[in-house]
Amino acid sequence: MLSRLFFPQEILNTLGDFFQRYQWAMWWYTALVRFVFPILALLILVRAFRGLLRVRHTAEQWGQLALPGGGSIPICHWENILGRAPLADIRLDFPTVSRQHAVLARGEEGEWRITDLGSKGGTLVNGQPVEQSARLNVGDTLSVGGIELLFLPLAREEEERLHNRRRAEGPEPMWPSLLWLTVFQLLAVLQLLIGNLEERGLYPLTLLGLTVVMWVYYGVIRRLGSRGFELETIAFFLSTLSIAVTLSSAPASAPKQLIAVVLGIIFLVALGIWMRDTGRIQKLRWLMAGFAIGLLAITLVLGKTKYGASNWIIFGPFSFQPSEIAKIFYIFAGAAGLERLFRRRNLWLFMVMTGVCLLCLALMSDFGTASIFFITFLVIAFLRSGDFATLSLICAGAVFAGTLTLRFKPYIFHRFASWGHAWEAASTTGYQQTRAMSAAASGGLVGVGPGEGWLEKISAADTDLVFGVLCEEWGLVVGVLAVLCILVLALFATRACRMGRSAFPTIAACAAGSLLVVQTCLNVFGSMDLLPLTGVTFPFVSNGGSAMIASWGLLAFLKAADTRERASFAIGGRGKQNWKGGGRS
Amino acid sequence: MERRALLCLVLAGCLLAGLVLFILLWAVRGERWAASAFNRHLYNNQGILISGTVLDRNGEVLSTVDEEGDRIYPGDKTCRKATLHVVGDLYGNISTGALKAFAQQLTGYNLIWGAFGAERGSELYLTIDTELNETAYQALDGRKGTVAVYNYQTGEILCLVSSPTYDPLNVPSDLEENDKYEGAYLNRFLSSTFTPGSVFKTVTLAAALEELEDLEDGTWTCSGAVQIGDGTVTCAAAHGEQDIWGALSNSCNVVFGQLAVELGSQTMERYTEKAGLTNSYSIDGISTAKGSFDFTEEASGDLAWAGVGQGKDSVNPCSLMIYMGAIANGGKAAVPRLIQQVDTPGLLPALPRFTHWTKRLIAPDTAETIAEMMVNNVQTAYGTKRFPNMELGAKSGTAEVGGEEKPHAWFAGFLQNEEAPYAFVVLVENGGSGADVAGTVASKVLRAAVGT
Repeated sequence: MLSRLFFPQEILNTLGDFFQRYQWAMWWYTALVRFVFPILALLILVRAFRGLLRVRHTAEQWGQLALPGGGSIPICHWENILGRAPLADIRLDFPTVSRQHAVLARGEEGEWRITDLGSKGGTLVNGQPVEQSARLNVGDTLSVGGIELLFLPLAREEEERLHNRRRAEGPEPMWPSLLWLTVFQLLAVLQLLIGNLEERGLYPLTLLGLTVVMWVYYGVIRRLGSRGFELETIAFFLSTLSIAVTLSSAPASAPKQLIAVVLGIIFLVALGIWMRDTGRIQKLRWLMAGFAIGLLAITLVLGKTKYGASNWIIFGPFSFQPSEIAKIFYIFAGAAGLERLFRRRNLWLFMVMTGVCLLCLALMSDFGTASIFFITFLVIAFLRSGDFATLSLICAGAVFAGTLTLRFKPYIFHRFASWGHAWEAASTTGYQQTRAMSAAASGGLVGVGPGEGWLEKISAADTDLVFGVLCEEWGLVVGVLAVLCILVLALFATRACRMGRSAFPTIAACAAGSLLVVQTCLNVFGSMDLLPLTGVTFPFVSNGGSAMIASWGLLAFLKAADTRERASFAIGGRGKQNWKGGGRS
Repeated sequence: MERRALLCLVLAGCLLAGLVLFILLWAVRGERWAASAFNRHLYNNQGILISGTVLDRNGEVLSTVDEEGDRIYPGDKTCRKATLHVVGDLYGNISTGALKAFAQQLTGYNLIWGAFGAERGSELYLTIDTELNETAYQALDGRKGTVAVYNYQTGEILCLVSSPTYDPLNVPSDLEENDKYEGAYLNRFLSSTFTPGSVFKTVTLAAALEELEDLEDGTWTCSGAVQIGDGTVTCAAAHGEQDIWGALSNSCNVVFGQLAVELGSQTMERYTEKAGLTNSYSIDGISTAKGSFDFTEEASGDLAWAGVGQGKDSVNPCSLMIYMGAIANGGKAAVPRLIQQVDTPGLLPALPRFTHWTKRLIAPDTAETIAEMMVNNVQTAYGTKRFPNMELGAKSGTAEVGGEEKPHAWFAGFLQNEEAPYAFVVLVENGGSGADVAGTVASKVLRAAVGT
């Protein structure tokens, strides 16, 4: 029924005649427009990249600790480790202070608590020893290993200065980029229409749906008072490429892909708003861990094999990959609050959870996703501990990896057989890679034109080999820009660490950024024979509903770490009253 | 917290490093990736080049694509066989053929522009004259070998035949097994090396003229053999008393063997390198094979034999032909080329193609003297009647290849003719006497080339 909607014979005949009559004009359109796309892509992305990477944003400050000898240390996060370690947030380089001495954390109601981490020197508030944790009020004297500190709020003028500076540094307006992106989409629609009318019908119009979704999203979020759109601009750009590649390779699934973008955006907004309440996050960690494992376990029981890995659940006409969504829950559960980090039990439980997830993936023979989970695990483990605990965690990780390798052995050997030698096995195990490389080199810098390639006819072209299709049809410039998009997302995540209020959003953002990077590495370098081909998707770009929803969902973690003044809907204002949109229950 | 994001940065660094590596690989190997037979932008589903027309210098179509999209060779069987190694076969087995070596010019593909519009194809005019190629092919008469003629002032290769050859439209089923077709995919002119025999005496002569005083005043007596070190250098007959002019026209091994020893191994090596015989030339992007020589064994007779083009010497016919051009042209010659012009429909007009010159292969005075001596060869030894109206200078070579096999027959030289400034090389493998066998082939081809 849907397909008939996109093939109205009369309109198609008229259009077909028109294109036939002006064939030369169409040829010239493709010849010229292929140069326009990379230029537009640059215009769209330069602004977004600059916004995310350019200025050293002034960090938020929540108070200060006055030192006895004069001077003070600003408190930049909601959760701060006090200690002698170089990695401590508030570094007190005195021999009597333990490496990680205590945690100073801000609670939901704005109250501050100090938690001793079993230090040798002990922690005192107003002369009273802190057993486990104690409340710290403005004006209280804090003694850390014998060092006396005075807990003070920011001076009023200092606060105002900071506030003004942060206001001035607000995100750049993104509407010019979105306008360019709209032009990009319109040109792409026409190009895809004239390319192959018989096969594609009016499916290319789906891309216009994305234009509408994009502007509606922009309008709504603007209304809610958020001004940061760099992350979404990048995501919309990549989604545009995704739908275009889908239109080239499997036109009929383009509407499905558009719906996936809409669902992904809903997921993003819901998750973002939901994460504004840090208390909720703490409470639901175990539920999230349960979800992650549950999704994988269900797949294990109900999963069907498709393209080598049995990670698909097919439900009538719908099929999806729960392991994609499981990533989000995994990061959620893994990125715990800092004050709980130093309980050994938590670390072990996290490792057990990782182990179970990896085991499930191992049984599904999904090597790509397993390696993504494992690297994400390493990133989170390092972020959480930083020190001695890391070593044991990573050692344990190595054991996991070892067991996994054994489990996957025949499979890995098969994959590795042609790795780096794709051209010697061009008709067997190197078939896909050699096709992708040849196509990528055929595109030149600006591509042969969207929808004009041949790689799309090779199996998995729009998923595993999507980078090859990008280079062939859109050119090397756009292909490289797409990879740089992911790189910028990851760099933004690491920058967010400096500004992050508390551990959860920073760890989650770094984990999400790393996950996106690892996935992109495996996809892009797999298709170009620099890594074994593992069948992992290119975030936002590969055709696939679950992957698209998961990519947008991961974006929520980055939004939650964007502490620039009134930039992100996933972050509350400084005080409750500052935040215009409300929405806090 | 900030520094703990290190791992995240390391991963981002890996992505960036990998991306840079990919771009480098793309830039270096991309054209090879695109030249795969399964690349449907450039090849059809049988792996045959999808577009582009190859023509000879007179506009005769040698290979093109018909309306059904099939590649055809409009010429007759003789034409197809005579031009096979310059036009190329359907499947890219002959790597020097235009369909393989000039696929980019034919389709308009390049790494920067991409394959857009490749299906329209270009017209590539070769410098070859089809009729001359057919004459040369017939003159070779099925024997293995190669014939080439080029204009040493413009670089245009007018004739290039390599044998054995076959009909690209009726590929013999026993091509891979039958000895008759041994090395049929090879372009012997560009990609092979052979023992040069006496044609190499032109190099020894150049060294002797420059390094030894009063060479032209001296005389030598040849008794048919001479003892040099532990070895003996022999001639086919005793040439008696002769000056250097006579020694060259008699092709006297005794004299040239002694000269080589007198010059010493280092000098011989220097002049061989200077002559460009150990060099690889780029013929419109096709690299020629490098010759190799070994002058190190001074003690025995090996150096003497090396000086007369025997022993371990091997030379590429193309580099020898260029050397002949340099002798005729006062020391430098144009580097040969195969592409006359490339016309791309609807795009920019074809750019003029510039002639590239070799570096100095031989001093001008020396070149003039050798040229006179080689003209003298023709007058006294090879017979002017065989080469009418040509002002021909030449040197034959009969290269012993050992065992029971007949020697390779060489004939190389030049025309000092303003209308036809050509240098040429003829090689008939196991053909016998150079002056007779190769000289006869050269005679037929050169007569056709100058139109007498």
